[in-house]
Amino acid sequence: MEPVGIRLENVTKRFKGDVLAVDDVTLDINPGEFMVLVGPSGCGKSTLLRVIAGLEEVSGGRVYIGDEDVTTQLPQHRDVAMVFQSYALYPRMSVRRNMGFGLRMRHTPKPERDRRVHEVADVLGLEHLLDRRPGALSGGQRQRVAMGRAIVRQPKVFLMDEPLSNLDAKLRVTMRAQLSLLHQRLGVTTVYVTHDQVEAMTLGQRVAVLNNGVLQQCDTPSNLFQRPVNLFVAAFIGSPSMNFVQAQVANGAASFADVTIPLPDGSPLAGSDRPVVLGIRPTGFALATDNSLPTIKAVPDVVEELGDERYIHFDIDAPRVDTEATRAAVEAKSAEDVLLLPEDRARFTVRLPMDAPVASGQPVTLAVSPERLHFFDPETGASL
Amino acid sequence: MYRLRRWGPAILLISPSLVLIGVFVYGFLGWNVTVSLSDWRGLRPSYDYIGFENYTRLAEDGRFTNSVGNVIVFTVVFVLGALFVGFFLAYLLERRIRGDGFFRAMFLFPMAISLIAVAIIWRWLMNNSTGAQQTGLNRLFSSIGLDFLVNDWFKADQPFAVMAVAIAAGWALSGYIMALFLAGMRGVSDDLREAARVDGASEWRVFWHVVTPMLLAVLMSAVVILVHISFKTFDLIFAMDSESRLIETPAIYMWFTTFDAFNFNRGAAIATLLMVGVSAVIVPYIWYSMRAERRQ
Amino acid sequence: MSARVDTPRDLRIQSRWSPHITAARYIGLFALVCLFLIPVYVLLVTAFKDPSQVSPRQMWELPETLSFDTFRIVWPKLENGLQNSLLMAIPASIISSFIGAANGFVLSKWRFPGADFVFPLILFGMFIPYQSILIPLRQVLSDAGLTNLTGLALVHIIYGIPITTLIFRSYFASISDELIDASQVDGAGMLRTFAFVALPIAVPAFAVSIIWQFTQAWNDFLFGIVVVTRATDWPVTVALNNTAGSQVVPYHEAMAAAVLASIPTLLVYILMGRFFMRGLMAGALKG
Repeated sequence: MEPVGIRLENVTKRFKGDVLAVDDVTLDINPGEFMVLVGPSGCGKSTLLRVIAGLEEVSGGRVYIGDEDVTTQLPQHRDVAMVFQSYALYPRMSVRRNMGFGLRMRHTPKPERDRRVHEVADVLGLEHLLDRRPGALSGGQRQRVAMGRAIVRQPKVFLMDEPLSNLDAKLRVTMRAQLSLLHQRLGVTTVYVTHDQVEAMTLGQRVAVLNNGVLQQCDTPSNLFQRPVNLFVAAFIGSPSMNFVQAQVANGAASFADVTIPLPDGSPLAGSDRPVVLGIRPTGFALATDNSLPTIKAVPDVVEELGDERYIHFDIDAPRVDTEATRAAVEAKSAEDVLLLPEDRARFTVRLPMDAPVASGQPVTLAVSPERLHFFDPETGASL
Repeated sequence: MYRLRRWGPAILLISPSLVLIGVFVYGFLGWNVTVSLSDWRGLRPSYDYIGFENYTRLAEDGRFTNSVGNVIVFTVVFVLGALFVGFFLAYLLERRIRGDGFFRAMFLFPMAISLIAVAIIWRWLMNNSTGAQQTGLNRLFSSIGLDFLVNDWFKADQPFAVMAVAIAAGWALSGYIMALFLAGMRGVSDDLREAARVDGASEWRVFWHVVTPMLLAVLMSAVVILVHISFKTFDLIFAMDSESRLIETPAIYMWFTTFDAFNFNRGAAIATLLMVGVSAVIVPYIWYSMRAERRQ
Repeated sequence: MSARVDTPRDLRIQSRWSPHITAARYIGLFALVCLFLIPVYVLLVTAFKDPSQVSPRQMWELPETLSFDTFRIVWPKLENGLQNSLLMAIPASIISSFIGAANGFVLSKWRFPGADFVFPLILFGMFIPYQSILIPLRQVLSDAGLTNLTGLALVHIIYGIPITTLIFRSYFASISDELIDASQVDGAGMLRTFAFVALPIAVPAFAVSIIWQFTQAWNDFLFGIVVVTRATDWPVTVALNNTAGSQVVPYHEAMAAAVLASIPTLLVYILMGRFFMRGLMAGALKG
């Protein structure tokens, strides 16, 4: 079957009590693409998924699957398959009947049903579990059955609502790779929802970042990482988070505390004189060597050992950036939720290789490349 | 069109019940009110409107006012008794001791038998015959030296007669109240208790300051349920001593005046008043429950 | 706190008073149980006594010999009633449970606009004093020729709808919504979702509902005397009241009759107590 695209056009969803879950989202998903919807909880990603499935009506806008306008179509008729966070396996049916249910509802003749169920069970390694009930399966097995149920249907679209979030961390990593493989083999258009930006970055061919119902940026993972379009995306994508500090751009350089870093060549801020929010990723630093890169002197107070890398944390004598965007990115409701102890100075995290000669309390000099700087408007959060 | 396709089957599935309830509950309630405003006496229905005459006559009816007094005393004694005993039992059983299933089963079993059976047992237990015929609890009290407890029970003077019936009713329903409170107590998360213990509260304080305040909702439920049962109680009193005015309540009076004396209009009026009384507790209760549910 | 049987006594964490308090609790509970079961004692002792040993003054004495004679005397008086109650209560409880299941499913999982308004309206039917519908009920049933056991069963079905609906609605509310979503996405509409997904998982709720309704229908008296006109159609509660209802009847016969009439519901209670409890709790809503 030819893969189909999905188009969401100005989709808005308002819930009772004037809660705007989805705010004028327009999104094009290419045929056969693996699109990830990511964002903090409450950002509207699950709602959007349910809109595509037909489990939610829209308050405005239109939904197209392929060329068909499905906006008012019942979920039964949309030919989409969904994998739920809790798997939603029918408790009283065997694995076989669970997987065959969708086909049964569509009046597929029994021999064909059995054949397809067996085929998929084989691929997923479930043949020996076909007669068991969901209650007798492990979490990972249930997850595979949920996937199998979707695959057997050979639908136009796969929808997945955080299917890996109930698995433990290590299993999640292996399942991620399996999902990618599966997508390569089946080639079905997939929309995948997660709140974990690592999952989003590793799985998505393109990733749509949402916050408060508004689509922030829809782009390839590397573009999201390297060219975030606003403060929220910059703060949300990447772990550990990008470091932010309030800085002043003047005379072709950005300065904060006692640090001055020249702007990169061709920067649009070259002639400006204005306050900005400066962002540098933890990976944007290196130990200073003799070359001519601008440097920052720091005295780390916390050093974290992670085996193959080290993170150091230190204070910067400049104001912290605490905006709605940065808070939303870590799902904090107020300033108090972000830190355990109150702090109004900026705090940086830097990643260094495991043999870097650093210790708590010992001053260290770090080099920064101007190319690794990100600038944002302090008012709007937009990228500059 | 979408809405009809989506909701149509559901509404269709529930509509028979809606029709049945509409007719047999609300329709009949209205019909009953109509009868209460009519002049229907005797076996042939008659619906000539006579206004509130039936109600005013009830107000002047000594038998009716007597029955109201009885049901009030009954309600107070029954509700308070069941609440106290039920709460006390729940308190004793709260700490998951061994055999609590057994104890709970013991206290709850009266809920499984009919109130007629309950009435029969207690009628004999509360028998007030004297001398050689002395039996029941009176006989027990005499034989173990508690002579001062011997009394006429449900044949005593009002209002004590109806209190005796309330004892039987309390026996039957304390277990239910106990179960309600237990459910409420178990619903208080262990975390709360553990935090209190670590903070230094003794077990009694933990119970009183942490658990009990969360039981307000249960208490409200219990009171509403008990009061509404109390107004409706018929079987127990009827089987205990149906003809006695000492324990007659509006529910009993309604029965006699309607199906014995064929004063359908008066019976309907009593029934309507019962309905109003019960609604006064139940309607706020349902409304409050739905609101609490929506907030969750 | 879990049972502490696994900790050796000298390693337990407890206050000085704790063992005494626990002992006091047990004593209190046993005392209360004994007090509480006094009526049961009298009931059993009397019912199983030889009729010749029965006298008011001897009520509290244990039987010298176990005898089923009293039962033999009262059985014929209750036999018909027992049969009638069985014939009426079993179908009534099953049918009203199915209706309740359908309603409960719709009201909790397929919430049409107005569902939250309809539910309290249905629920209210559970709380009305039945006196307030007796007169119309008698009229309608009499006109329809249903003043018999069938009519009684219908009455119990109809007035059982609110509580069975409540039981199933609460039950389905605790089932994940995602299951219903999955069924829809798989292609099933409301009816097929109800039949293939909801009903199979509602078995525990059916147990609760059927048991509760059976008990209610069996123990009912008011509808029994109002609806049924012929003595041969009387349910057991009415028969019980008639045989044992007056002071004229010797008390041992009354007690034995009460025991006989209560056996079915007591059996249900003993064997399926868990489900009975849940039905009991369902009526308390959520406070």
